Amino acid sequence: MNILKRWLALLLMVMLWLPVTSVAQRKISGTIQDKRTQEPLPGAVIALQGSTIGSIAGADGTFTISLLDTNIDPVFRVTCVGYRPLLLPLGAAYTLDVLLEQDQTQLDEVVVTGQGLSVSKRRLSTNVVSIGEKDIENQPSTRLDQLLQTQLPNAQIRLTGGQSGATSIIRSRGVNSAFLSSTPIIYVDGVRLDNLNTSTNLSLNLSGSRSQGTATSAIADIPVENIEKIEFINGGAATTLYGSDAANGVIQIITKKGGSEKTDVTFETRLGAQTPTNDFLYFKRTPELLLQNGFFQQYNLAINGGQGPFGYSFSGNYLNSQGTLIFNQNQNQRFDFRTGFRAGLGKKVTYESSFSFVRSNFRRVRNGNAGGYTGLWFTESGASLITGPGFNNRLDELNDTDFERIKAYAQRAEELQNNQTTINRFQTSQVFKYLPLSNLTVKGTAGLDYRVQRELGITTNEYLHHIGGNTTGQGSIANYDRKYLGLTLELNGQHEARWNQFSVLTTLGGQLFRNDDHQIEYRGDNIRDGAQTISLAATRSSNEYLAQVVNYGVYVQENIGYQDKLFIDVGLRGDGNSAFGKNIGVQYYPKVGFSYIPSVEKYFQPVQRVVSSAKIRANIGEAGNFPTPFANERTVQLVGFQNDQAAFFGQAGNADLRPEKTRTIEAGVELGFFKNRILLNTGFYHSLTRDALFVVPPAPSTGENNQLRNIGRILNRGFEINTTLIPVQTKELEVRVRFALNTLHNEVLSSGGAAPFNLNGFSARTIQTVVQEGYPIGFLRGNVGVFGPEGTLQSTTVQSYLGTTLPTLFGNLGLNVQYKSWAFFANADYQRGAYANSFDRQFRFNYGVDNEGVPQAEIDKNKRTNWLNFTNIFTEKTDFLKVRVIGVNYKVRPKLRDRRIRTLSVGFTAENPFNFATSSFDPEATISGAAQGQGGATTGGISYATYSVSRQFVGTLRIQF
Amino acid sequence: MQMITTIMKKHTFIAITLFASLSGCGLTDVVNPNVTDEVYLSTPQSGKSWLNGMRRQLAMTYNEVVVSTELVSDNYFNNRTLSSKVFDIPQIDYTDLDVTNLQKEIHRLRQMADFGLTRVLPADPTLSASEKAEMQFLAGVASLLSGELFVALPATAQGAALKPVEHFNQAVSWFEQAVATTQDAAEKQAYQLLLARTYYQLGNRAKVVELTTPLLTNRTLLRPVRYDGVNGVANSIQFYVYSSTNNEFAPLPRLDFLDPKYYHIGSATTDQRTVVLTKAEEAYLMLAEAQLGNNQPEATRQTLLTLLIDVIANRPRVLIDDKRETRNGGNRADYPTTAVQVRFSPGSIAHEGLVLDRSKQNVSVYAVSGTSVTPEQVRGAATADDLLYLIALIRQEVFFAEGRRMTDLGIKFPVAQNEHLNNSAISTTDLKAQFPAFIPTNRTLDDFTFDRATGIVTIKVDMNQVLVRNKTAPEIFPLINP
Repeated sequence: MNILKRWLALLLMVMLWLPVTSVAQRKISGTIQDKRTQEPLPGAVIALQGSTIGSIAGADGTFTISLLDTNIDPVFRVTCVGYRPLLLPLGAAYTLDVLLEQDQTQLDEVVVTGQGLSVSKRRLSTNVVSIGEKDIENQPSTRLDQLLQTQLPNAQIRLTGGQSGATSIIRSRGVNSAFLSSTPIIYVDGVRLDNLNTSTNLSLNLSGSRSQGTATSAIADIPVENIEKIEFINGGAATTLYGSDAANGVIQIITKKGGSEKTDVTFETRLGAQTPTNDFLYFKRTPELLLQNGFFQQYNLAINGGQGPFGYSFSGNYLNSQGTLIFNQNQNQRFDFRTGFRAGLGKKVTYESSFSFVRSNFRRVRNGNAGGYTGLWFTESGASLITGPGFNNRLDELNDTDFERIKAYAQRAEELQNNQTTINRFQTSQVFKYLPLSNLTVKGTAGLDYRVQRELGITTNEYLHHIGGNTTGQGSIANYDRKYLGLTLELNGQHEARWNQFSVLTTLGGQLFRNDDHQIEYRGDNIRDGAQTISLAATRSSNEYLAQVVNYGVYVQENIGYQDKLFIDVGLRGDGNSAFGKNIGVQYYPKVGFSYIPSVEKYFQPVQRVVSSAKIRANIGEAGNFPTPFANERTVQLVGFQNDQAAFFGQAGNADLRPEKTRTIEAGVELGFFKNRILLNTGFYHSLTRDALFVVPPAPSTGENNQLRNIGRILNRGFEINTTLIPVQTKELEVRVRFALNTLHNEVLSSGGAAPFNLNGFSARTIQTVVQEGYPIGFLRGNVGVFGPEGTLQSTTVQSYLGTTLPTLFGNLGLNVQYKSWAFFANADYQRGAYANSFDRQFRFNYGVDNEGVPQAEIDKNKRTNWLNFTNIFTEKTDFLKVRVIGVNYKVRPKLRDRRIRTLSVGFTAENPFNFATSSFDPEATISGAAQGQGGATTGGISYATYSVSRQFVGTLRIQF
Repeated sequence: MQMITTIMKKHTFIAITLFASLSGCGLTDVVNPNVTDEVYLSTPQSGKSWLNGMRRQLAMTYNEVVVSTELVSDNYFNNRTLSSKVFDIPQIDYTDLDVTNLQKEIHRLRQMADFGLTRVLPADPTLSASEKAEMQFLAGVASLLSGELFVALPATAQGAALKPVEHFNQAVSWFEQAVATTQDAAEKQAYQLLLARTYYQLGNRAKVVELTTPLLTNRTLLRPVRYDGVNGVANSIQFYVYSSTNNEFAPLPRLDFLDPKYYHIGSATTDQRTVVLTKAEEAYLMLAEAQLGNNQPEATRQTLLTLLIDVIANRPRVLIDDKRETRNGGNRADYPTTAVQVRFSPGSIAHEGLVLDRSKQNVSVYAVSGTSVTPEQVRGAATADDLLYLIALIRQEVFFAEGRRMTDLGIKFPVAQNEHLNNSAISTTDLKAQFPAFIPTNRTLDDFTFDRATGIVTIKVDMNQVLVRNKTAPEIFPLINP
């Protein structure tokens, strides 16, 4: 029966997709341009008010639109991200040339985030960041998090290593959870995506433990092509309606669903060079052993067009990034395509869909705590002394013969590694909008994200022999398959009522999402070199992991406006979730907020010459993070042992397991000065996470395993300041400077009596990032040594606080200069107040490469045996300013009337050109594993055998036909 | 066309309704991959799998016991970066995760035995008497290890911290039950030997003599702890001394000839060697010490001679390829992998043949027991102290890499931090490790010098001499000063 229902649904979907045309009685055409520069605004939307009829401006800003003769006194609403919306009565005209004015305050921008349906920013008591097509074009990135890195003023995004596809750390408003990842949830066209930003439960281990090195991120393969707009909201009242997993914020990606009546074809090619970031390497000659210059190429073909109520969009993309590790050991090849459709089915129904497919392949080398042979450990940590035959580990002092010897050894060890990750990902969103009344919109969304990841590690006997050790026929092949299926179903309605000076926007909806995560490990040991599958192995073994979670929620929201200047926002979401304990029923998330626009008031007029616009907003709201599926049950664990079943204690169980709830109180002011040439958006937030999930290690005498419990309280608070200055703005020249500053105070207020536990790092006697009451999440803990006046170690205090890994201050900077058809841009981000440990340095001391600041007297007396007893020596401040991109772009519009090429733009970008850091190592290239397992929290903070993100110098040619 | 649009609108509603109805049925079901307690106990023949789980737990426990205690003792030195970096000093902090891990595994063995005997056994009538006895025996092992390795430990979940003697008394009770219950003759002897060992720790000479004497005839007695590399329970000490790409642990040079006791031939995953839980040699060694304690040096001498000639000499030896051994872990300037001479302490004679030349050919190693002590040495031992020295040395060599030496040195672990935080019955005195006053500090236990010119390794301290000098210390030689 279920199968039948599913087939029926599928059939309906196919039928509804059939192209249909409606009768056009009146064809309106025109252009949409920037009022200041007269530049066309491709992607601007023109829509007939109260209906589904509309069109999108093409590459040259032109549009055509067909009206039915039943449309009496049509009024168009013209919108474009970054521009003030315009209402235009058509009258009897057949042409319409629209000039849109840039809207610095963006108060009237319509956003979808947080509300289920669209709403103007004016009405919101929260802050929404939207990034339009133009910003995306100017920040050519191959992955979403990198693209957002300098675009989100109140979030910090750090790639944790230079290996392609590696996980990132994304956090806004601090770290809400000591157990779960701080990565926001990501939606594409209303459908949730797999946002796993840690290693999977069963995964290839190239770093000692899975949490001690690079893992593959599910964010790295989200296609970033064909995006119309990205919206981001911080966790808090803004994400209340998203319920049980939205405490970290929400990223919404809205893809293109079609263009103008003409067909726009855009071809883009990006070619360039990649060079390794050597800034932080200890030895000048390390690059000669491990690194290379790589070639980067990317080709993209996009077709956008439409006719009448139909629109289509296609984008195909091929990327080949050779990477900067020798033997192309960090190569990334990717092919993806994305399509989007929209169809107006009569006056009241629209259908939108998007599909994307991506195939991505990454190569990987050993890193982090892999031990044995690990390129960077071998070189930068001085472990060459004890690896293989043993070498003089002071690379820069070697004579040519010795250098050639070590180089031959290292290069062979690199060459013999064969590890890769392949991802096939399919994602689709199907949306129906129904407007039964001009002020009522009903929207149904259904979609899925299906991501299949295969990790393959072939360890040959030749490799094992090369790096030394007792090996006989020990080659192995390890495969890890992970299949993720995320389903989203959502139905909601929005009604707008106006009554005198009041407007009431009511939103009511329900959402169901389901994640299935199935992982299989299959490996062959004792296998001949040359074998590519485990079928030839002497021993074969396998393992399986399954997690499923279903969340169903209902939400309601009232947004009441008075005179378009004062708004009150009230909302509530109730969620049930299969991961909750059996004693836990529906969990509720309430919110309430207001926004007020004093700048429209009469009393404001005297100051308006200085303060041109103002908005005050405040709110309080809750959002959650649901616990790990099935962590609520008491279980018996079973495995094989000596060819028979072996049973033992599994989870201790917790029938009261519930989501963590973060309650955020925030208040902010948005001010525009001097005709909005200076914009200041400043706010304060105070987020308190209650029922914080802690993995509680029980008393050893219970014999039980660790159990997840809601026992913690975590505080995050800070100021969020975002400023935009426009010192020059003429028809031909505009200079725009952005500056964002955030402060952060993070503290575990209570651990509910649980013992400290680690997020990252190694054993408790070395270095770890730890969660402990009274400290920030993920602070560095290690042994602090005190030296006597004669320079020898006097005392060691074990497991001491060495510094926080969370910055107390962070933000980003941007400069955009537009002169005629030239655009110059530069973006940077920075942090202050965080610390990290260099385990590489600690090893350099241990292996005698360098004294690393340890007094000679200590070495004379105790040699290097105390290397772990003064970890404080190797802990450094990690303030940094990193320039992420500098670029220039030139756009040409051939003036011929009958032109084949509409626009041609040439650009050049330098990615990661400059790094300024107080630490001797790369503050971002840190092992970021989540010791608490898949989807676990991490804060980085330990620099150890991790590659820095490479530099890229890329030229772009973009032709629109 | 208008009609199509109308139909489509209708379909839209149907589709939306359908999605809603789908969400009401199959989509909300989740498959729980776990087996809950209730399901486990209510399904047939749970007992066998629980007992096998306990055997697995014994293997996991022994991994912690052997690795940690071998490092703490003078047997092995951690020459690389994996595993503990402080046990060699020796430094044992109650905050150390390895202390928690050792404690956790022992408790888990005990709690599993408790659950097995009180919950699983009543639910599964198919379990045999011998299987029940094995559960009792493993409960006894948990108690014995608690007493041997810790200054104090709870014997129940978050219970009061019991002193070693109380744990030994519990172990006696468990082993006696196991001996009485089992119908397996070989197992019965092993349980009896463990019972004797418990009395040995209690310092009860009479019981040791009574229990070991009937066991002397079984000269091949061996009760192993089994591992399973395919299923993720590999023998940790095997990894550290042989199977790891690099040999992490280096033996004290005078014990070089005994390394590695564990090795693999072919694939390490499938070739996991067993660790000895108890063996025939132990009966002789305990008896010899009891005899010496009873002032019977000649009986001691005879017991030791039988041990050397009829037991140890008949244990199997294996030729293995250890040419890739480098002894260059980096934590200390090591001795060469070619044959060199060894002095047990400065000024003593240099012995040959104790450091093997691994570089040229396969080496012959002792799979169960080996010793450098010869019958001539036993015959020539002039004083009781000489005999006691030989007992200590044979014990060290025979039990090498079996997790026994730390206890023989009188060192004990403290209660772990996690227990302290979650258990109010733990006092601060329980948080301090026990180090007898004669234990040298600052990595001296494993220290030596190497004279390149003469090719002689000189070990800094002969701990067996130290033990004999301090034989009256309460922490050591339980049968000499009971």
